[in-house]
Amino acid sequence: MTPPRLTRVHLPLRQLQDRIATGLITAGGIGVLLAILAIGVFLIWETLPLLALGDTFALSKLSPLAWGTLKAALAAMLFATPIALGAAIYSALFMSARLRSRLKPALELMEAVPGVVVGFIAGLVLAPWVERHLASALLLIVWLPLSAVLAGVLWHLAATRLRQRLPHSWAGLWLIPWLAFMVVVALWLAPWLEHHLLGGDLRRLLDQRYGMDYATRNALIVGIAMGFAVIPSIYALAEDALADIPTTLMEGAQALGASRWQALWKVALPTAGPGIFSAVMIGAGRAVGETMIVLMASGNTALFSASPFEGLRSLSAAIAIELPEATPGGLTYHLLILAALALFIFTFLVNTLAEVVRQRLRRRYHRLGGRQ
Amino acid sequence: MKGNGLWLGKKYRLRLALLGALLVASQLAWGQPAVATSLPSGTLGAVGSDTMAGLVLRWGEALTARHPEINLQFQAGGSASAPTALIAGTTRLGPMSRPMTATERQQFFDRYGYPPLELRVARDALVVVVHRHNPLEALTRQQVDAIFSTGLACGADHPIKRWDALLEATQWPYGRIALHGRNLASGTHGLFQQQALCSGQFRVDISEHPGSSAVVAAVGESPNAMGYAGFNHLTPMVKALPLADQHGNALAPTESAIQRGEYPLFRDLYLYINLPPGEALPAAEQAFLELIMSPEGQQIVRASGFVPLPPSDLNAQQP
Amino acid sequence: MTPLSEQSKRRVNWLNDGLWPWLCAACVALSLLMLAALLTLLATRGLGHFWPATLEEVTLASGDTVIGQPVRETPLPLNAGMERLYFTGNRDITGANWRWINVEDIAEQATPNDLIRLERTPWGDFIGRLVAVESDGQRLTGQAAWEYITTSLALPASQRTSSELLLLTADGQALRQPLSSIRHFQAPNAMSWWQKATAWGQNVWRFLSEGPRAANTGGGVWPAIFGTVLMVILMSVIVTPFGVLAAIYLNEIAHQNRLTHLVRIGVRNLAGVPSIVYGVFGLGVFVYGIGGSIDNWFFSDELPSPTFGTGGLLWASLTLALLTLPVVIVATEEGLARIPDAQREGAVALGATRLEMLTRVVLPMATPAMLTGVILAIARAAGEVAPLMLVGVAKLAPQMPLDGDFPYLHLERKFMHLGYHLFDTAFHGEDVQAAIPLVYATALLLVLIVLVLNLTAIFLRHYLRRQRGNEC
Repeated sequence: MTPPRLTRVHLPLRQLQDRIATGLITAGGIGVLLAILAIGVFLIWETLPLLALGDTFALSKLSPLAWGTLKAALAAMLFATPIALGAAIYSALFMSARLRSRLKPALELMEAVPGVVVGFIAGLVLAPWVERHLASALLLIVWLPLSAVLAGVLWHLAATRLRQRLPHSWAGLWLIPWLAFMVVVALWLAPWLEHHLLGGDLRRLLDQRYGMDYATRNALIVGIAMGFAVIPSIYALAEDALADIPTTLMEGAQALGASRWQALWKVALPTAGPGIFSAVMIGAGRAVGETMIVLMASGNTALFSASPFEGLRSLSAAIAIELPEATPGGLTYHLLILAALALFIFTFLVNTLAEVVRQRLRRRYHRLGGRQ
Repeated sequence: MKGNGLWLGKKYRLRLALLGALLVASQLAWGQPAVATSLPSGTLGAVGSDTMAGLVLRWGEALTARHPEINLQFQAGGSASAPTALIAGTTRLGPMSRPMTATERQQFFDRYGYPPLELRVARDALVVVVHRHNPLEALTRQQVDAIFSTGLACGADHPIKRWDALLEATQWPYGRIALHGRNLASGTHGLFQQQALCSGQFRVDISEHPGSSAVVAAVGESPNAMGYAGFNHLTPMVKALPLADQHGNALAPTESAIQRGEYPLFRDLYLYINLPPGEALPAAEQAFLELIMSPEGQQIVRASGFVPLPPSDLNAQQP
Repeated sequence: MTPLSEQSKRRVNWLNDGLWPWLCAACVALSLLMLAALLTLLATRGLGHFWPATLEEVTLASGDTVIGQPVRETPLPLNAGMERLYFTGNRDITGANWRWINVEDIAEQATPNDLIRLERTPWGDFIGRLVAVESDGQRLTGQAAWEYITTSLALPASQRTSSELLLLTADGQALRQPLSSIRHFQAPNAMSWWQKATAWGQNVWRFLSEGPRAANTGGGVWPAIFGTVLMVILMSVIVTPFGVLAAIYLNEIAHQNRLTHLVRIGVRNLAGVPSIVYGVFGLGVFVYGIGGSIDNWFFSDELPSPTFGTGGLLWASLTLALLTLPVVIVATEEGLARIPDAQREGAVALGATRLEMLTRVVLPMATPAMLTGVILAIARAAGEVAPLMLVGVAKLAPQMPLDGDFPYLHLERKFMHLGYHLFDTAFHGEDVQAAIPLVYATALLLVLIVLVLNLTAIFLRHYLRRQRGNEC
C-alpha cells in the first residue's frame, strides 16, 4: 500500500483552510456562548436603575407576585410529584418492557402539548366546571387513589384466569377504563354526598363556616393545569434515574428475600434518590417559569393568601401582560425586568443544583456498575 | 463514507447560499420603509387603536365592497401608535380610542404647522356586569366605587364586599363579591378608574384579566361575580347593570342611552386625519370618510358592538 | 418449577408488596387518561363545530317562538332547574345572537326542514325561513328560489345580480337581504348525512384556507398558520448553524477542562430558563436595543414611528432561536459524543486536517442527532407563545410577511401566530361565546402540528438508534 500522496502545493492551502475554519468555529462557538451569557448581563444591567430607588420599593411591588409564583409552583408540584414519581416507579420497575417502550413516547407527547392550549382548557373549561362542581372535584382527589387500591384488592381476589388476562405489568393500560368508570361513579355520587353529609352547597359551607372565599380561577386550577404540564418532565428524569440502577442491586436484594416493593423502598429509592430529587427540582423550575397557563388560569390577583381557592398572580404572567405596554426606561419596565431577573436566577440555580446532583449520581452508578 | 461527506458538503454549501440569500433579502427589506409613504393608489393605510381594530377592519371590508379598487391596511398598535405615525407621516389616518393629549397635538402642530383634523366616529361604553340571573337591579356610582375601590373617592361611607350588602341573602346567597376587571396596561382599566372610581385606587383582590371577553366569560360562569368590561364584549352570559345618576334615575347601558350620552361611563372613539387646511382629501381617503359617516358605516359600528354617534353629531362633522 | 408453583409464589410476593404498586400503576393510568381526555375534548369540540348543526324551532309556554341551534344546557342558580342556550342569530333584529331559555318553559320543540341559516356580512348569521327571492322584478319561490340561490352563490360577490332574499324570522318579522351580502346558505335540517359530511369537509377547508373575518370571531386561520410556519422556518435557519457551531466547538475544539464542563452545565440549564425571560431579553436587546439603533441609522426619516424598533418577524425568530439554541446544542453534542474516537483518529491518521475530519467523518455521523435536535427545537418553538407576545406577534396582521411586493420577505412586519391567535380569540374576542368553537379548532390544529413534529423526532431518534445499533 502506498501512502496517499500529498502534493506540496495543496498542503499549505488545506492547512490554511483548516486554520480559518477552526478559527471560525471557535469564534462562532464562543459567540454563541457569549450571547447566552448576555441574557444574564442584560437583565442585571437593566435592573441597576432600581437600586437608586432603594430596595424596599421594588420588594413591596414584587413580593405579592413572588408569593403567587411560589404558590402556583407549589400547587403544581403537590399535584404532579406524586403522580409523576408513581408513574416513574411503576414504569421502571413493574411495567412490561413492551408497554414501557410505547408509554415513554406517549408521555413525551404529553409534554409537547403547548402551554397555551392547557391554559385555555384550564381557564375556560376546567375552572367553571370545578366552580360548579367543587365537591365532585375534591371528592375525585380522594376517590381515585381509593379506586386504585380497590382495583388491587379485587385483582388479588379475582380468579387466576382473569389475573393472567390482566397482568399487573400491563395495569397502567387496563386501569384506564377502570379509572374512567370510577370518575363517572364519583361524579354521580358527589352531589348526593354533598347534600347528605354537608347539608347542601359546599361553597356556601366554606364561606359561612370558615370564611373562605372561592375565586373561579384559583391556585387549585393552576395546580392541576400546570401539574399536567410538569408531570412528563419529572417522570422522564425520575424514570431514567430508576431504570439506570444497576440490575445487580435489585437482583441482590430480591435474592436475599425482599419483595419487589421492599427492594424498591430499601434499595432502589435510596440509590436513585438524588436523581429523583433533581427530577423534582427541574419540574419545579418549569413550574416557576410557566407563563401562559398561569396567565390564563390564575385570575391574576396580586394577593398574599395561602388559600388554595383564591387567585394568585405570578411574575411571569405579570411580565407577559404588562411589559408590551410599558414604556422602555420607565419604572414599570425596570420592575418587570427585575421580575425576569428573579425568574432567571431562581430557575438557573435550581437547574444547576439538579444538574450537579444528577452528574454525581451518574458517577455513583458508574462506580456501582464498575465494581461488580 | 466519502460520498456521504461530499453530499453533506454540498448541502452545507446550499445552506450557506440560502443564508446569504436571506441576508441579502433582509438587507433589501431594510431598505424599504415599513409603511411606504407612496402606497400604490387605492391602498389606504391606517395605524392606531387596538380596541377599534375590529371596527376599522370591518369598515375596510365594506370599503372594498363599495370600491373594489381600494384596499385598507390597518396596523393595530394601540392608540398611542396613532399620533407617532401621523406625525411621522407614515399614515394619514389614525384611529384612537381616546382623544389626543395636548403634547401629542403640539408635536403634530410643530411638525406640520396645523392641527390634525379630529373626527368622532363612534361611541363606546364601559358596563358593570353580573351573572345573568342576578336579581340586582341597579347600582349607584357610590356603590360601584365602594365595591371596586379602596379609597372611596366618590363619597361612599364604607366599602361593600358581600352580596348581602346589596341584596337580600335569601335572594342571592353567594357570600363575597368576586371582582373581575382588566389588567393595568389596558385603556379600559384606566378609563374605569378615572370615571367610575373618581380616580381612586382599585382593590387588590380584583382578578385582572388580559381581555374584556375573559372578564365577561368569568362573570358569566360564576353567580358571585361582578366585573367591568367594554360594551362591545357583552354576551348573553351576563347582565349589564344600569347605573343610577345623581337624581336616582337608573340608566341602563342601552344603545340609545349611550348614544345620547346619558349613560355615565362612555367614551368617544376618534379618527385623526392629517389634512392641511384648505386642501381636499385624496379620493381614497375621501371615500373612506364618506363610508364612515354614511348610514352603512354607522351600521357597521353597531355590528361591531359599538354605538353609532347621534345623527346631530354626525351632521355637524360632515367633512 | 411448574407454572402453578411459580404463580403461587408470585401471588405471595404480590401480597407482600401490598397495594402500593397499584397506586403507582394508577398514576400511569391517570396521566394517560388526562392526556386522552384533553385530546378527545379538543378533537370533538374542534371538529364538531364544522358539522352543520340541526336547527330547532321552540314554542314557549308564553306563545313565543324561537328558532336556533341549541348550544349548551346549564343548571339555574339555586337549583331551580335547567336552562338552555340557543344560538339564534339575527343580531340586527333582536340585538343579540343568543338566547337563554328555561327548559321548563318549552311547550313544543320541532325541527322543520324549511329552516335556513345564512352567513352574512356585516351582521353575522341569520336563522329563520326563506319566503322568496326577488330578482329583476321576478319572484321565485320554493325549489326555484333554492336553485337560483345555489347558482348565484357560486359566483363571486361582484358578479351577482342585484337580487334580494325575502326572509322571515321566528316571530314573523320580515327582512329583505341583498344577495351580495351573503356568504353562505344552508338548510341543515333538510340535508342528508352525505350532504352534511360534504359541508363539514368544506367548512374545515375554509377554516384552514381563509383569513379571519369579523374581528377574529369568524373565518379561518390561514394567516396564523402561515405566520407560524414562516417564523419557525426562519428560526430553524438561524438556530441550526449556530447550534451546531457551538456544539462542535464545545465537543471537538475546546479543551476539555473544568471550564468547558461548567459551560456545558450552563447551556443545559438554559433549556430550563423560562421562555418569558427570553422574551424579555428579545424585547430589551433585539427590539429596543438593536432595532432602535437600526432605526436611528437607516430609518431616521421614519422616526418616531419605528420600523425595526418594534416587534416583528425577525426579532421573534431570533428570540425563539435563542430559546431553542440549548436544545440543538445538547442534541448535537450528544450525537458527537457518541461517535467513537477511533473514527476521528483514523481520519487524522490518514492525513486529514481537522476541518476535513469534521466535515467528512464526524458531521455526517452526527447528522441524525442534529436533525433530531432541530425538529425538537421546531416543536418547542411552534408551541411557545409567551415570548412572542413581547417581540412581534399581532392580533391581526392583514399584511402577510411574505407577499408579492418587493422585497417579498418583510422581516420587520408583525405576523400572526396560531398560539397567540388562540389566546387572543379566547380572551380578547368580541363575543367569546361565539369564538369558543373556533378556539377549540385552533387549539386542535396547534396540538396536531406540535404532536406531528414531536412524533417525527421520536421516530427519527428511534430509527437512527436502531440503525446505529446495527452498525456497531
